[in-house]
Amino acid sequence: MASQEVSVSSEYGIEGDVVVRMTDISFAYQSKKLFSNLDLEIRRGNIYGLLGKNGAGKTTLLKLLSGQLFVQGGSVEVFAQNPQKRTPSLLQEIFYLPEEFPLPKMKATEYLAMLSPFYPRFDHTMFGVYCKDFDVDLNQRLDQMSLGQKKKVLLSFGLASNTALLILDEPTNGLDIPSKRQFRQTVASAMTENRTFIISTHQVRDMENLIDPIIILHDGSVIFNDTVASVSDKYVLNLTTSEPSKEHALYTEKVLGGWMVLSERGEGSEGQPLDLETLFNVVIQTSKGTMGGVR
Amino acid sequence: MNRLLALLKREWKTGQKDYSTYGLVIVLLLFAFETMQSLVARYAGSSFPMEVYSEMFPGFLLLGGFITTSLLFSEDMFSKDAQHTWLMLPATNLEKFVSKALISTLVYPIAVTLLFFLASVITEPIQLLIFGSPIGLFNPFKDNELGSLLAQYWVWNSVFLLGATFFRKAHFVKTVLAVGVVFLGLGALALLFTRIVFAIKFGSSLQMFDSFMYFDSRYLQDSLTALKVFSGITKVFYYAVLPVFCLVTAYFRVEEVQATDAV
Repeated sequence: MASQEVSVSSEYGIEGDVVVRMTDISFAYQSKKLFSNLDLEIRRGNIYGLLGKNGAGKTTLLKLLSGQLFVQGGSVEVFAQNPQKRTPSLLQEIFYLPEEFPLPKMKATEYLAMLSPFYPRFDHTMFGVYCKDFDVDLNQRLDQMSLGQKKKVLLSFGLASNTALLILDEPTNGLDIPSKRQFRQTVASAMTENRTFIISTHQVRDMENLIDPIIILHDGSVIFNDTVASVSDKYVLNLTTSEPSKEHALYTEKVLGGWMVLSERGEGSEGQPLDLETLFNVVIQTSKGTMGGVR
Repeated sequence: MNRLLALLKREWKTGQKDYSTYGLVIVLLLFAFETMQSLVARYAGSSFPMEVYSEMFPGFLLLGGFITTSLLFSEDMFSKDAQHTWLMLPATNLEKFVSKALISTLVYPIAVTLLFFLASVITEPIQLLIFGSPIGLFNPFKDNELGSLLAQYWVWNSVFLLGATFFRKAHFVKTVLAVGVVFLGLGALALLFTRIVFAIKFGSSLQMFDSFMYFDSRYLQDSLTALKVFSGITKVFYYAVLPVFCLVTAYFRVEEVQATDAV
């Protein structure tokens, strides 16, 4: 489970550092069952990465915990409140950036003046700083911006709103290469011990060194919710030129010039740092019970 | 209170362009109608138009208002792309509903009345200069028609507000159809009621003589008193119970949509 322990009593009225607690939840879209008996705990002061295959239910999970969708069984608590009630006190602590969204026909400055009063701790100075960092023209009309520019405006708004929980669904989709780097820097600089980010993404390379712990959704449940470091402590990743034996390898992948092999860490064994893509593949393969994995 | 003001501001800002376009259309239409009538009056020798504003005012107040009201919730509550913003907006359901209800019930009629007056202030001097037509500013208080119109607007706007929250698409048309169906049903019930209560009269060969009886001064006073009581009850129901019922039901509908998931 998550690493940083923040023992101080929260200003948001929660005991301890649990931000989100989902217990035994089930959810289905009409006849298509998506989650059953899903448990999840998210702790304060972390940037969580939510990973999963297409259709695994990442966006649905984010909507469930932000109260946009309702669970059909089990319970969800966000800051010790039921998000389904959508109380203003809870909603002003949550900022949700969807993957796709329409924005009204107005300038960014007008958008700011229209919505910032809803967030009591909104920081107008920081909004300007974030927009400058992202190279966003505040006088341009929102409906004339590209998807990437719109995301930068909303992201700047979300960060400046100073909400305790930021939920970002595929935030780097549509961002150009320099903006992805800027995104990582900005999110890292906006992080405080009282904030929590949940970032759903397929672009794991964009999020490398930013998201940790990692939550992996698969087959309707959370199959992994831990730090990369905890996996690195137990396992080691090596590059070999000869084909590894199935007995010792937990996961193997054919790469250029040899095989990438994940095996249990022995005394004094050293290897390469575990990247998110490999971690994801390992977890998915392990959950299927096919040790040895992709060849 | 701050949140309500912020919501009202949001309502105005998001609809600003549409409201401005609508206002401009009203001004241009008024100007065009006034000009056409002045032209005809100037060259055909008929009298100059004096009633253009008061003739067009009820149409824009009622029909325009009902269409505007019908569209109030369509984006925020029923558009899958946009409803996320509405759902996640930190405000109570009551505040969200009241902000929209205030816009349609209070702000719209005041704005249209002021717009008509301003349009007449702009149009009339131009007509005077070009055609020599006498100044006839829009006076909403003339003949005490404004109060009656606003009362009708208050009643029917609440019905269309309910329709706006109840139907997911084609709010205006569906509300009109629903009102039509309700009237047909009520008409049929009234017919049935009349047929049952006055069954003896319908069956009697002396109907004509029965009806003459009511014109007798001894019965007429009783009938008129009963009618006045009935009329009073109907007015209370029409102007107070019906709109309040529609507004409360519309609020509960917003609650219901907010209390279910948006999919």
